[in-house]
Amino acid sequence: MTGFLTSFLRNRKAAFGLAIVLLYVMIALLAPVIAGYEPLARVARPHQPPSWDHWLGTTRMGRDVFAQLVWGTRTSLMVGLVAGLIVTINGTIIGITAAYFGGVVDEVLNFMTNVVLVLPQLPLLLVLAAFLGQVSPWSIALIIGLTSWAWGARVTRAQGLTLKTRDYIEASRMLGEPAWRMILVEMLPNLLSIICFNFIGSIIFTIITQATLEFLGLGSPLNLSWGTMLYNAQTSSAITVGAWWEVAAPCLAIVFIGVGLSLMNFGVDEISNPRLRTLGTIGKALKLQRELDRARLKEAAQ
Amino acid sequence: MNFLLKRLAFYLVAFVVAATFNFMIPRMMPGDPTDIMLSHADGTIPPEAREALKATFGFIDEPLHIQYGNYLASIFTWDFGTSIKFYPLPVTDVLLMALPWTLLLTGSALAISFSVGTLLGILAAWRRGQGVDMVLSPLALAMQSIPAMVVALTTLYIFAIGNQILPTGYAYDPSLDRGFTVDFIASVATHAILPVLTLSLVFTGGYLVTMRNNMIGQLGEDHVHMAEAKGLSDARVRYAYAARNALLPSVTALALSFGALFGGSLVTEVVFNYPGVGNLLYLGILARDFPLIQGQLLIMTLAMLTANFTVDIAYIFLDPRLRKA
Repeated sequence: MTGFLTSFLRNRKAAFGLAIVLLYVMIALLAPVIAGYEPLARVARPHQPPSWDHWLGTTRMGRDVFAQLVWGTRTSLMVGLVAGLIVTINGTIIGITAAYFGGVVDEVLNFMTNVVLVLPQLPLLLVLAAFLGQVSPWSIALIIGLTSWAWGARVTRAQGLTLKTRDYIEASRMLGEPAWRMILVEMLPNLLSIICFNFIGSIIFTIITQATLEFLGLGSPLNLSWGTMLYNAQTSSAITVGAWWEVAAPCLAIVFIGVGLSLMNFGVDEISNPRLRTLGTIGKALKLQRELDRARLKEAAQ
Repeated sequence: MNFLLKRLAFYLVAFVVAATFNFMIPRMMPGDPTDIMLSHADGTIPPEAREALKATFGFIDEPLHIQYGNYLASIFTWDFGTSIKFYPLPVTDVLLMALPWTLLLTGSALAISFSVGTLLGILAAWRRGQGVDMVLSPLALAMQSIPAMVVALTTLYIFAIGNQILPTGYAYDPSLDRGFTVDFIASVATHAILPVLTLSLVFTGGYLVTMRNNMIGQLGEDHVHMAEAKGLSDARVRYAYAARNALLPSVTALALSFGALFGGSLVTEVVFNYPGVGNLLYLGILARDFPLIQGQLLIMTLAMLTANFTVDIAYIFLDPRLRKA
């Protein structure tokens, strides 16, 4: 566990991604302090461009875009986290159960997973959200959480199957370890990077999907989030009247959190599969070699 | 052959499961769906048609299993009832009008993003850790996590509003007559540029990363070293030995993205007001047009399953191991 953490932080991409994500977390936690204005109050004239008083301008309703963005960060992160947790827990339980028990259990679970994988997901989510009617962010988290576990389950199962044939698993089974111990103590730690990958990926997916659902007008307009900001901007035709800041602010917020999270995931991927690494390690090796050469030259000169 | 039959059986069962979900969703939702549905039609539907609609849609007081039977039958007769939003057109007609536009968009975008992404992925893997890879891989990664609506709004703002060089929406200039005239085809092409560009940008990153990672795996394999040792040219080793095997997962991704493309093209079509099936589903959802939504979901599922089955067939050609089994 600690080994995984240190190699995670040593990976430059992962550390950079983590820094971005932590920045968002800080913004979400400190929202009341840094927002400056009430996000839903009319604080200025409509569609003011960015200025010293209103860093990111104002909306058509004369609301402060920066305040909305800061409060929206809270919603997006919470929804991403909750849905990500549900997706990961579901996927991991289903994947490991299928891999460990095999036989009929595996057949049934694997069949379920494959069926869910071939369904058109976004249209289905849209329809579910539409039938539930102006859903709150929590309902969105729940819908996404309960419908998006299939990919994670499939990957976890595949990795679990390869683990199952390892000698040490065979050995612990012969020692008569109970199933729960085999799963929790022997298998789970070795699936950590896949679970982590799945978790971060699900958060990205959730944040994007939530924003998309709300942008399309299927979320509750009373909730402050990046998606509803985009929806309001779109319905007040901000882009056509040239109020680009009202659209750009939530767009960039989504892009940067997405980039931050994917960098983290890229790092996880590189740790579990070192061959995928780009310059980082190779560059480090070259640098080390150069330093060694220089040191030797110095020695030779003396 | 055995393999294909097994897959076919799986898709049949998957389709029945999807169809059942599709049947259950509106019936499980709170409130009476017919009332919600017809309240959105604001009096454009005469009372006798209301009753008929209720009947065709199956919302009469029949036991659930009979409704289900009728519903399953409607799939095979390809009769999804009458659309409410586009009353009195049948759902099938409405869908058939929109389908060619989506096929145009998604077809072009898939072709572009798959070929560009795969070629760049091969390049990035071949020059792993060098300049090209250092730029391409993080860029692809970043593009992958940017939602379609952000790309769509950006291209819309840059090319259609900031600089008015391309149209803001719709599939062609409505003042032109539809037909095989130069003007009309040119109009269709210029209207397709921005949505196709958006979709291609959204999907290229995924193909690039998939191809790069698989290609790197392949480059470490013995048969590739063997090819190098034989003194074959770089290009031959790259394309005929490594890329050919690395392509398999990309082909899977291609099929799976068909479903994502329907979803992704939905947002893009909405932003550009493009008259494809995605936009249609959106309009149907806004109008709570249940027959249209149900018909559409079924067709999307069918498209998804067909794409997957096509991949299975392609695999038989691409992977010799499956031919023996």
